[in-house]
Amino acid sequence: MNTDHDPAVITAVLMAAEGAINRSLELDPASARDLTDLSGTVLAVECWAPALEIFAIVEADGQLHLTSYSEQPCSVRVRGGLSDFLTLATAEDPAVTLINSDLEIIGNSAPLIALQTIVAKMQPDWEAPLVEVLGDVAGHQLANLLRQIFRWGQTSSQSLRRQLSEFILEEGRLSPPAAELEYFYQEIDTLVLKVDRLESRLKRLAHRVDNQIQ
Amino acid sequence: MTDKTNAESGETTHFGFETVNKNQKESLVRGVFDSVASRYDVMNDLMSAGIHRLWKRFTIELSAVRPGQTVLDIAGGTGDLAAKFSHLVGDDGQVLLADINDSMLKVGRDRLLDSGAVGNLHMVQCDAQMLPFPDASIDCITIAFGLRNVTDKDMALRSMERILKPGGRLLVLEFSKPVNPVLEKIYDTYSFRILPMMGQLIANDADSYRYLAESIRKHPDQETLLGMMEDAGLVNCEYHNMTGGIVAVHRGIKA
Ligand SMILES: C[S@@+](CC[C@H](N)C(=O)[O-])C[C@H]1O[C@@H](n2cnc3c(N)ncnc32)[C@H](O)[C@@H]1O
Repeated sequence: MNTDHDPAVITAVLMAAEGAINRSLELDPASARDLTDLSGTVLAVECWAPALEIFAIVEADGQLHLTSYSEQPCSVRVRGGLSDFLTLATAEDPAVTLINSDLEIIGNSAPLIALQTIVAKMQPDWEAPLVEVLGDVAGHQLANLLRQIFRWGQTSSQSLRRQLSEFILEEGRLSPPAAELEYFYQEIDTLVLKVDRLESRLKRLAHRVDNQIQ
Repeated sequence: MTDKTNAESGETTHFGFETVNKNQKESLVRGVFDSVASRYDVMNDLMSAGIHRLWKRFTIELSAVRPGQTVLDIAGGTGDLAAKFSHLVGDDGQVLLADINDSMLKVGRDRLLDSGAVGNLHMVQCDAQMLPFPDASIDCITIAFGLRNVTDKDMALRSMERILKPGGRLLVLEFSKPVNPVLEKIYDTYSFRILPMMGQLIANDADSYRYLAESIRKHPDQETLLGMMEDAGLVNCEYHNMTGGIVAVHRGIKA
């Protein structure tokens, strides 16, 4: 269970990423077919620093479902530190890297490699769904990051690691929760302003009416 | 306890911050939701700037509902959760969408038909305090933003415990106590000033939304609700704060 993080924020990020992947699957029938072949696969990704557990589940209809909580038996579980995952993410050949890396794999690695190959091939549009759930600033920042992660091999893992750590520390560590609250506060601020303005306008109007009557 | 003895005993309860007679509260609550039912979803979205979708999604993950199970969504309103569950339990399972309010259920039925939910969904008009289902018949019960409206919450929790199968789980998603004082203050402004004004503008019904805001404040905090669930006989009770404790999801298991 992810106890360090606000479930609402993790859910927001996963929901956005899932939306982006599923949307680009719609535009890429070949990848969608490959993914359908993997249906029933439950991949657990367990990162120990920062402590975070994520499940990628291929549904019967070939959609990818990302969640921070699942009780389904896992087909394969990958364990490691953030830097191990990032090395993998920026590797030229994910399959080879996976085998040679420090990541611990429990279960059958075949569906993991297959899943990776599919997602790595795709160019999901991360931006729109992320902005939708996280608001402009955080959404954009995270979209950039995801874009880099999935442009395998083209980003130096050093800079990626730094950016991702920053994001996780600033946006993901959540007491108080950052990303979605910021959005929430902005909404409130705007509303308070609007309401205040409306109130004073009404007062002025009422005043004018009073004066005219007299 | 019947309405009659209730009225005679003159027991009082809180309707928002006003103290009212218990059975008066039931009709007041019904009135509030009747008057906003069709505009409810719009309001719900605005109320929390869409965050409620995240809260609900995490609640559904925690339910770990599987194909073939029977799920009861109490105070289900217009059927947000029920629609997801209908998909999760599949043809072999069933979803019961229960609400005290008939007009909420009607909106829910229309929406669920539109969303293409399968034939495993049933609507039941009933009161959370007296659930008309057999003992040990349900795998999972959810109640989202509904417990705070229930007059006798202990009675409702006992009623839920009774109909759960052993090992079945109850999930309560509800506004709770923000863990941070700054948050609490902002939240109060939002609940008591902004929300009623939006209610006025959109649903033309500020009183309903002021009531919502006030009933949020009357809701038991995290630890109190946890204790109430344990008192009702549930075990392994736990909760997760979301969005700084504005909302918490509690989970308990039937022994
Ligand atoms: C705020 S709405 C929540 C709807 C839905 N669960 C959601 O999260 O969007 C509260 C619902 O509780 C219902 N309700 C109030 N008191 C109830 C009771 N005693 N038993 C069952 N439902 C009740 C109302 O009719 C209303 O539909």
